[in-house]
Amino acid sequence: MTGSPGQGSSPSRGPDLRSILTSTRFAGRADDVGEVADRELEARPPFTIRMRLILALGVFFLLYLLLVIWAIGFLSRIHEKVLFLEVANLYTAEIQQARRFEKNYLLYGTNLEDAVEHARRARDLARTHGGRFESVAGPEQSRVMSDHVARYLRLLDDIARAPDRAARGAIEREIRDHGAAMVRLAIECMERERRGLDRMLYLARRVPWIFLGVLLLLMVLAFNFVARPIVGALSRFMTYAERIGRGDFTPITPARKYRDEFSKLALTLNRMMRAVDRQHRILVESHKMRAMGNLVAGVAHELNNPLNNILLTACLLREEGEALDETEREEMLEDLVSQSDRAKRIVQNLLDYARETESKLEALDLAAIIDHTLRLAGNQIRMKKVRMTLELPEDLPPVHGDRQLLGQVFLNLILNALDVLPEKGEIRIRAETGRQEGFLAVDVSDNGPGIPEHVLDRIFDPFFTTKPQGRGTGLGLAVSHGIMNKLGGDLLVRSTPGRGATFTVLLPVTTIPGTVSSPGGGPGGEEAG
Amino acid sequence: MTPGFEVLLVDDEPIVGKRLRTALERAGYRVEVCETGASALARIEEHAHDIVVTDIRIDEVDGIEILKAVKARRPETPTILITGYATVEVAREALARGAFDFLAKPFRPKDLLRVVDRAAAQIEERGGKGGPAEGP
Repeated sequence: MTGSPGQGSSPSRGPDLRSILTSTRFAGRADDVGEVADRELEARPPFTIRMRLILALGVFFLLYLLLVIWAIGFLSRIHEKVLFLEVANLYTAEIQQARRFEKNYLLYGTNLEDAVEHARRARDLARTHGGRFESVAGPEQSRVMSDHVARYLRLLDDIARAPDRAARGAIEREIRDHGAAMVRLAIECMERERRGLDRMLYLARRVPWIFLGVLLLLMVLAFNFVARPIVGALSRFMTYAERIGRGDFTPITPARKYRDEFSKLALTLNRMMRAVDRQHRILVESHKMRAMGNLVAGVAHELNNPLNNILLTACLLREEGEALDETEREEMLEDLVSQSDRAKRIVQNLLDYARETESKLEALDLAAIIDHTLRLAGNQIRMKKVRMTLELPEDLPPVHGDRQLLGQVFLNLILNALDVLPEKGEIRIRAETGRQEGFLAVDVSDNGPGIPEHVLDRIFDPFFTTKPQGRGTGLGLAVSHGIMNKLGGDLLVRSTPGRGATFTVLLPVTTIPGTVSSPGGGPGGEEAG
Repeated sequence: MTPGFEVLLVDDEPIVGKRLRTALERAGYRVEVCETGASALARIEEHAHDIVVTDIRIDEVDGIEILKAVKARRPETPTILITGYATVEVAREALARGAFDFLAKPFRPKDLLRVVDRAAAQIEERGGKGGPAEGP
């Protein structure tokens, strides 16, 4: 036994299926909306899992490339800085050397040449690496620095040629000032450069960690981006598989905005459902023919009665007509007409069952369907002398379904019950609302031998039969179960061995307003009676 | 043709009763019609008809039971069965149970008359009517 419609009408399947089933496009067959669903599946713009994967990996590659480019650039900048720091070091050393010699000169009058030599070297270094100095110290500062060096050199030149002590003293003061400023600026510049290098090294240690954090975040996003559609689709396809297993062949419609690999799977499943549905219809049809074979014996017997009446009456009219009086002849003619009508009705009933009409979902009056079915099986019921008890409340709501298919379900259940019942058994048909929200429950019970528990599990399997060879196809209940699932209802069974069995047909109560259609509405139905 | 033979006709179809009564009466038989199995069984208890013609399927009491009742009471009374569907099994069973013959629906009045006449002829061969005819 599969899930009850109680589960079926849960949000996973209920509203979607209902809206499709009750739409005017759907006529209970996979073919009808199948192609529409397929077109809708195909019409979406493509965004495949493969594309998502390529995109995600591409983003990662790009990010990594950026990191590498940045790292290479950064390392070369550090390298440059280290080189320049060496230069700045040298420059400071030269200036300090020049000052030392300058002091010697001022104290002892020696080493002036050396002081000039070192100051020149410092000036040359600053000239060679002028751009770099400018960028480290700023153009203003660097100009001040080179001005100081130039002035210092000129002062050193001047002091050698100083005319007197007073002039020499003035120059000496100026040399000290410029010298001190020179040293201070050089050290400042070096310090600044060292601090810059420290900052860069600090950054070089930090950035990989930050990158790792960003990467982790991106990986979560990429996982959602790639894995979510896969996981989501898989769980959706699981529910599809379940409902297909239950015999609900409503085609898969697009669930997402984009087309991907799963759309192909959905198309394939839709195709498969159409094929299975076709086979199911053939199965239903072939079973119907078998069931009709059973009915025909009854119908033949039933038909023989009016035929016999007609034949007897007609023969008598022909042979003895002269001898009969007017009223007797009138009565016989009347009998001929009424018996012909009776025969016509019997044939019509069988034809209604056999005729392959378009499957059509509509609001139906259950009582009329059961009445029609009982008329069809009436002869079998009379032959078996089985008592039929009907408990149909007056105010049954209209049900949603296909008249022919529902009739077939009830006929199958009644014929099955007749098969297992001994003579003078009882079949009870009882309808009840409110047992399950939105459904009408119809119990078909018999007081036969019941169904053993190990059989109950397999009772709706195709080709499973307990009847002797040649008596049953094993399709009746499978077909009925399939029909009920397709109509959005269900067929359930319960049984106490020795005390009979009860089959419950759960029918969705209709939500479509409008006139209720009654069975046997074809020609020769009620109007002949 | 042997007039005066009494025929009990059992069939739940009123038209069959009416038409066969007409046909048999015109052929000189006296006819009594029962429309239910129970009333037929009661009549068999009360009265010895010469020939019994019964439908097999009537109601709770079927033609086979009537045949058995007739055979238990008066084994020599020819009993003719009418079947709805003539299958070999039904015919074989009917004859095995001692039926005189059977007729498959639909049949003509002539067909029944022929069988009833044969039954009457057999009774005469055997030595006249099983019992005196009552009334005119």
